[in-house]
Amino acid sequence: MLRYIAQRLAQAAVIVAIVATITFALIHLAPGDPFTAVMDNPNVSETVRQTLRAQYGFDRPLPEQFVKYVNALAHGELGWSFSHERPVREVLATALPNTLLLMIVALVGSFALGILIALIQVARRGSATDHALSGVSLLFISMPDFWLALLTLLTFAYWLPLFPVGGTIDPVMHEYWGFGHRVLDRLWHLVLPALTLTALASASVARYQRAALLDVLPADYIRTARLKGLTEREILRRHALRNALLPIITMIGLSFPALLTGTFFVEKIFSWQGMGYAVVNAIDTRDYQLVMGGVIIGSIMVTLGSLLADLLYALADPRLRR
Amino acid sequence: MTTPLLSIRDLRTWFYTESGVARAVDGVSFDIGAGETLGLVGESGSGKSVTALSILRLIQPPGRIESGSVIEFDGKDIVTLGDAEIRNIRGNRISMIFQEPMSALNPVFTVGDQVAEVARVHAGVSRKEAWDRAVEMLALTGIPDAESRAKQYPHQLSGGMRQRVLIAMALMMKPALVIADEPTTALDVTIQAQILDLLVDLQKKIGTSILMITHDLGVIAETASRVIVMYAGEVVEQAEVDSLFAKPHHPYTEGLMHSMPHIGHDQERLNVIPGTVPAPTEWPSGCRFRERCPYSWDRCETEHPPLYQIGEDHVSRCHLAIEPERRNHPHPPVVVEAGVAAA
Amino acid sequence: MPWQTQDFAGNTAPMRLRESPLGLALRRVLRKRSSRVAFFVLGVILLMGLLAPLIAPYDPAAQPDIVFLKSLPPSFAHPFGTDPYSRDVLSRVIYGARLSLMIGVLATIVSLTFGVAYGAIAGYAGGALDAVMMRVLDAFLSIPRLLLLIGVLVAWPRYSVGALVLFLGLTGWFGLSRIVRGQVLALKHAEFVTAAQALGASRRRILWRHLLPNLVSPIVVAATLGVAHVIVLEAGLAYLGIGVPSPSASWGNIIYDGADQPATLWWMSLFPGLFMVLTVMTLNILAEALSEAHERR
Repeated sequence: MLRYIAQRLAQAAVIVAIVATITFALIHLAPGDPFTAVMDNPNVSETVRQTLRAQYGFDRPLPEQFVKYVNALAHGELGWSFSHERPVREVLATALPNTLLLMIVALVGSFALGILIALIQVARRGSATDHALSGVSLLFISMPDFWLALLTLLTFAYWLPLFPVGGTIDPVMHEYWGFGHRVLDRLWHLVLPALTLTALASASVARYQRAALLDVLPADYIRTARLKGLTEREILRRHALRNALLPIITMIGLSFPALLTGTFFVEKIFSWQGMGYAVVNAIDTRDYQLVMGGVIIGSIMVTLGSLLADLLYALADPRLRR
Repeated sequence: MTTPLLSIRDLRTWFYTESGVARAVDGVSFDIGAGETLGLVGESGSGKSVTALSILRLIQPPGRIESGSVIEFDGKDIVTLGDAEIRNIRGNRISMIFQEPMSALNPVFTVGDQVAEVARVHAGVSRKEAWDRAVEMLALTGIPDAESRAKQYPHQLSGGMRQRVLIAMALMMKPALVIADEPTTALDVTIQAQILDLLVDLQKKIGTSILMITHDLGVIAETASRVIVMYAGEVVEQAEVDSLFAKPHHPYTEGLMHSMPHIGHDQERLNVIPGTVPAPTEWPSGCRFRERCPYSWDRCETEHPPLYQIGEDHVSRCHLAIEPERRNHPHPPVVVEAGVAAA
Repeated sequence: MPWQTQDFAGNTAPMRLRESPLGLALRRVLRKRSSRVAFFVLGVILLMGLLAPLIAPYDPAAQPDIVFLKSLPPSFAHPFGTDPYSRDVLSRVIYGARLSLMIGVLATIVSLTFGVAYGAIAGYAGGALDAVMMRVLDAFLSIPRLLLLIGVLVAWPRYSVGALVLFLGLTGWFGLSRIVRGQVLALKHAEFVTAAQALGASRRRILWRHLLPNLVSPIVVAATLGVAHVIVLEAGLAYLGIGVPSPSASWGNIIYDGADQPATLWWMSLFPGLFMVLTVMTLNILAEALSEAHERR
């Protein structure tokens, strides 16, 4: 088991290294120098320029630049964001917790909801409920993330003004409220973005889980359970689900890229001050360093997520525990 | 016989498939007495497994137990029982052991948990109590060091051990009837003998009846007191074990006996009953065995034979009962003559 | 004795001619009502795109009256309303079908070509090269496609539609190459390869002859899903401002044009989105039916 963990960690490290190479290649393949925007910017102080020059070594041969690049990354340096006038590292560090909050809520919510829907569908397979839910799932996975977010915003914040139009907290009042009120304020702002993300993600989970359950149901050990006199519901919940959850854990790892992408759009539309919001705005301002920083951090998040899912799987399947 | 434990009368289980209605079990009747071991013999396609599944109402669509079938147990008809009542019987009053011990256990739960589950469902005891009973039962089935084995997962046990676990599961509630469907077929020969001995031993200890379903006549000889032979969804012969082996009446039974190779007997080729079991969607007219039978004549094609009484406890579904002299005139069976068979 | 040494009598069914697996699969797909409906709807949308110049009521790029005709809600004259530049939204949506579908198909062709090539090389080469190629693949898979595209597109100040198609294609081949590699590996070790080799056929020839038929189905499924993904992705990029360069009309662009005032210009978000959802749904239905048909073989 420990050997497996070590193996996966090593793999993850290799992948991150390759990602760094890819991003480096992207930076230098683009026409023009992505650093000119920073270097020629009169607002950027001389000290910053010196630091950058030292860190990235412009005008040095490419291999040397690469080494400096990797070195900078290893120290957590991601460059300078001229639109924020702060190191990229700082901008992302303040934004990341918001993104993580949104993603974790959506992850947990979508799996809970998705599994529930799948159970209902399998318990009534072939019925009208089953078909209707399949149709709804299909609809939701076919929707562009930002479109659903737009519609949600329009419906629940404009036409039915139930929720705030955006932001993480009330821009004016938040500081003046007591702790409890502030928590509520955050939650209230969290609802719509989290709901949107959850709805989108639950659809895939429901589809996969339904297929996984149907795969498991003809198994011999399900027949054994029936022989013991268990009710169909008990069989579904206790025996079938426990086995059908295993492929879903794999799915958790595979769903991170889509979840992250969805989060980016949702953050922009709901003005949720997370990493996605920062990156999307950086696109408008052509703040390339910030964009690349987002790409790198995003990739690391996905790699870690996949790693965690694999570890979780190894823990959950007794056949792998030796 | 005194009131039988289980009485099956005219059981018909049909499967409604795209290619037609498959009459897997087509009018089967027999009784099982308390404490007896009844053998059910037949090859694949004879309907023996479907019969077993029908007893516990485990037939799923597109299969259906046809109305008119009666399975009497404990004074009630299993066919018409409600869901809760049938669940009360399963695992509790009637239990079943299957052929595939490798896949019959859930891989994500410990062996002990799965055996204990039976007690939790039917006896309503606490987890601790159920666990203790499970360990006890596992020990009874001859699993060494049952206490620690119970905490292991199925993949950590050998095939023979898993079958013992399944036997323990089946006997937890000391059921009145255990249906054993090819319990040893998937196991090594050396283990087979052990498992059979175990079953016979436990039967004596607990007093349960066993319905031993198999295609292996050797197993029947070892364990059963009475035997039923099934072919093409019907009972074709029923007798005491000794009578069946000494004087098989139905040509199919005869064929089965002759196809068993004998040690010490020099043979160049295995004896085989020519042809194959017909498809359950199209049973042949008249006697269903006639195309493979070496004695058949015109009556066999037109008249479906009833179960004739041959001896005191011996019945056979063959017209030879009323025209026994035909047995002296064997001929190549229809399947060979028609050239449908490739030589 | 009647039971002594009978010859084995078995039935032999006559050999049935095998039809192409794709043809069989298609027929199985069309047997489901949902697939037929999906095919029909997709066909209508395709037709809409193909016949755009003929059926669009107005010129999608025309800005007839930027003062009085701009930002009008849906009406008889403009069923989908007009945008802030007084362009008719319905016409733009119709032309959008053309552009979005074209981008989807072309980008997918690029993805397929690259994916099959990469996977086949990795599988065939085996050993160290395969291991390295797979690790690189894993790395690419770790970068969410949207991020990768953002990283590329933001660096380029200007790019053509062709370049966009290329980038979209070059970021969508990862999954398929895995499948192809798997197939090649399985085939390499298959017994009939050794047998055929013994008969004098070259390894390469054998793989080619046996590889393609097994791949056709997964490729078609991947292609269908690929087009769906690209359509959604292009719209997303457009929404972020890095999609198809204006003033071309793609579904994503239309939404982008109305993104500043989503509430007042709701028709600019609703209609293109509906068409997108419809197209993607039909593609998903067909892809699912195809992969089911393939599995049930």
